[in-house]
Amino acid sequence: MKHPRAGLARETRRRPPISVAVALAVLVAVAVATVFAPWIVPDATAQDLMLGITGPGPGHPLGTDDLGRDVLELLVAGARTAVPGALCVAAGSMLIGNLVGLPAGYLGGWVDALAMRWADLVFSLPALLVAIVVAGVLGGGYGLAIAVLVVLFAPTDTRVVRGAVLEQRHRPYVEAAQLKNLSAWRIMTRHVWPNIAPVALANVFLNFAYALVSLASLSFLGLGVPAGSPDWGRTLSDNRTQFLTNPWTVIAPGLAIIATAAALNIVGDWLYERVDRRGRAR
Amino acid sequence: MASRADGPGAGNAGGPGTGGGGAGRPEAAGLSGGIRDAGLSGDVRGAGLSGDVRNAGLSGGVRVEGLAVRQPATGRTLLSGVSFEVAPGESVAIVGESGSGKSLTVRAMLGLLPRGLEATGRVDVDGVRVDDDPRTRARQRGGVVSLLMQDPFTLLNPLRRVGRQIADGLPKGADPKVEVPRLLAEVGLPEDVAGRHPFQLSGGMRQRVGLAAALAGGPRVLVADEPTTALDATTQREVLALVRRIQRERDMAFVLITHDLRLAFSTCDRVVVMYAGRIMETGGAAAVRNEQLHPYTRALLAAEPPADRRLAVIPAVPGSVPAHDAVADRCAFAERCSLAVAECLAVGPVPKAVRPGRESACLRATELPAQPAPAPGVTLPFRGLADAVLDVRDLRRTFAGAGRPALAGVSLSIASGEVVGVVGESGSGKTTLARCVAGLERPDAGTILLDGVDCSDYGRLSRTAVRQARRTAQMIFQDPYSTLNPARTIGAALAEALRADGRPAASGDVARLLESVGLGRDMAGMRPAGLSGGERQRVAIARAVAGEPRLLICDEPVSALDVSVQAQILGLLAELRERLSMAMLFITHDLAVVRQIADRLYVLEAGRCVETGSADQVLDAPAHPYTRALLASVPDGSAGWLG
Repeated sequence: MKHPRAGLARETRRRPPISVAVALAVLVAVAVATVFAPWIVPDATAQDLMLGITGPGPGHPLGTDDLGRDVLELLVAGARTAVPGALCVAAGSMLIGNLVGLPAGYLGGWVDALAMRWADLVFSLPALLVAIVVAGVLGGGYGLAIAVLVVLFAPTDTRVVRGAVLEQRHRPYVEAAQLKNLSAWRIMTRHVWPNIAPVALANVFLNFAYALVSLASLSFLGLGVPAGSPDWGRTLSDNRTQFLTNPWTVIAPGLAIIATAAALNIVGDWLYERVDRRGRAR
Repeated sequence: MASRADGPGAGNAGGPGTGGGGAGRPEAAGLSGGIRDAGLSGDVRGAGLSGDVRNAGLSGGVRVEGLAVRQPATGRTLLSGVSFEVAPGESVAIVGESGSGKSLTVRAMLGLLPRGLEATGRVDVDGVRVDDDPRTRARQRGGVVSLLMQDPFTLLNPLRRVGRQIADGLPKGADPKVEVPRLLAEVGLPEDVAGRHPFQLSGGMRQRVGLAAALAGGPRVLVADEPTTALDATTQREVLALVRRIQRERDMAFVLITHDLRLAFSTCDRVVVMYAGRIMETGGAAAVRNEQLHPYTRALLAAEPPADRRLAVIPAVPGSVPAHDAVADRCAFAERCSLAVAECLAVGPVPKAVRPGRESACLRATELPAQPAPAPGVTLPFRGLADAVLDVRDLRRTFAGAGRPALAGVSLSIASGEVVGVVGESGSGKTTLARCVAGLERPDAGTILLDGVDCSDYGRLSRTAVRQARRTAQMIFQDPYSTLNPARTIGAALAEALRADGRPAASGDVARLLESVGLGRDMAGMRPAGLSGGERQRVAIARAVAGEPRLLICDEPVSALDVSVQAQILGLLAELRERLSMAMLFITHDLAVVRQIADRLYVLEAGRCVETGSADQVLDAPAHPYTRALLASVPDGSAGWLG
């Protein structure tokens, strides 16, 4: 079959569209807050009980909460708790997903059966409910919440990686590598994995956003970070009774969660397209 | 299917100058008797000509003038200066290799360019200027103009019954219960096909359904884009014969896009040869076949191997098709042309009339040396009997869910240094045979002796035995686009292959390996995406022969390549075979190709070997009817080929 010289329009180097530029800006801001929070807002948790809860005004652009803490400063400090946790969940589950999904897809047989039944088992459990029960029984805590979420997220990644591997498995380049008598491990890591990496990367971003929201939910329910700590989910939870006095105490952390999650998805999609296009002819 | 989008549009046309929806119905009625009613045709055309938008004499035809296609985002020009005419009832083939712009030309003509591309120039279809009027053009598609696409397997909606898909293209008011069976009968299909789903039909039947759907709107112009490339050779001939018969009966203008010059000569009245986005030569099929007035056409025709004799050397064209812009100011073919003079590199020639009805873009068209006589065939050199490197006995394999076995007891042997061709159509089991020998597929029964070692089941071999078998037999694959790992550089892939075969793999060794397959050493740093199809196949060959295997399994190694590149790769394989005294199992559907390289042939039909013998013997005096049918389906370029 003759192929017309395909992909002419795709070869053009495009600049990131405006939505991606905005999403990138959001992520940069969040990253800066995460890393430099102790220097930017050294006394975010300093209380001013005399001031109490106030609406937005000079000196406090988003007002203060009932303990007199500046909401904007809390938001910046909160990133330091919220973001690394979600990052751990996304990275951890992707690591497990690759370690299990790659051999499951490539080797097949009992390895595949075992991995998939495990995935089915975890899938059949209602994720957030399990997290709540486990965190409740074991006493909660941020570390535990992260660990539980990693276990719950990993099967999705395993399936995604396995599916991508199955698609590559019978390509001639894999068969050619088999004909060269290369070890299964080498074919999996050196030949197949680089070609499924874009999918894995895109999934990391998706999971990151999802983990951010899940952790916030757990914190909201009091099963993540301790009460009073600056964390987006926690702040949202602590201040929900103040909604009528200063709505920003609730809206601001909620917006931060939504904006970060959305920005991650947008940037993730964009990166996937770029990485996936590289090295591909058609 | 272009015809689907415009069902209502064609019906709404009605106005002057668009005979589409209106002409469709009386047309189809006129066809019921199998022969087109001449009076009716005159009627339709006469009515059309009275409209002032019509160009004299072009009703029902196509005229393209100064067509150019650009990509504004990059400023690149993909084709330019394309002008040709297709008179009503005439058939014209646009011939070219990939990258020649043949598909873009008709897509621009039909207003179906991919996004990001822009066409300029004048296009008249059925006497109406359409390049500046997307609405007329959209109305015409499916009505006045129909497109028959390349791949019958993706052309039909898998979820809808065939009859309804054909009915989609009928003009408004036509009765599907009458018209659909009539169209099916016209393309030689039984009436009950209408109730079936596409997956219940073979590739050839699907392409016939595609043709019926394309004819549903009663088109005056039929465009076919490589309509038979995905079909088997025998089916290809049937479908083309059918298309041509219908085209004559309906007196349609017909534009065929193809990469195969001989096919073009056999199917069409005139040919337009394109290269690098320009027209190189045009003329009547028989005239061009007898004498080519452009060196490119000569080279292209010479590079197509004949099935009736073995050539000492297939004259390959060095290099590959350049991008349009890279040769904007000179003759596009100059750099690959043995007759080029300084002037060829200085001006960009346009096609000029050389003699009546013949145009050539060659500056030296009038002073070309006389047409060389066809190269004579050579007889096979006798190769002394040697011990078998491969001995296959009674190999059987049935795939789960398949109705019949893919291999039903095939025996075959290859002597050391011998090239054995295995030919057959799709489904004959030839690829399964190759994959079993390579150990990619496990046979149900039978033995495979590779260099005397039983390799029927690689799973039961010891590690050292597997390594030994892998070093004895290597394989190259059909699709050059997936045979290389897109994520790895060429150098890394070849170094790995050398190491795996126990050879030194320093950068000098990789460079030597690259040079042994005719590639530059600087290619080691590139990734497959930067390579052409031919270059990729060379890399795949280098990877396979890195350890100098005793047997090279070639699964359709040239069938995805352009003709000029195919000749290069065949030359490379022949050279490697001599140098490494390597045996080959050469799997192909193409008898002309296998004639050039194989010493002995096995002809497979439905998993059984129906004929075997020396290549000369099998192809000069085929004994089995299946072999004869295969041989008859190789285009010979004569007008009588389609029967």
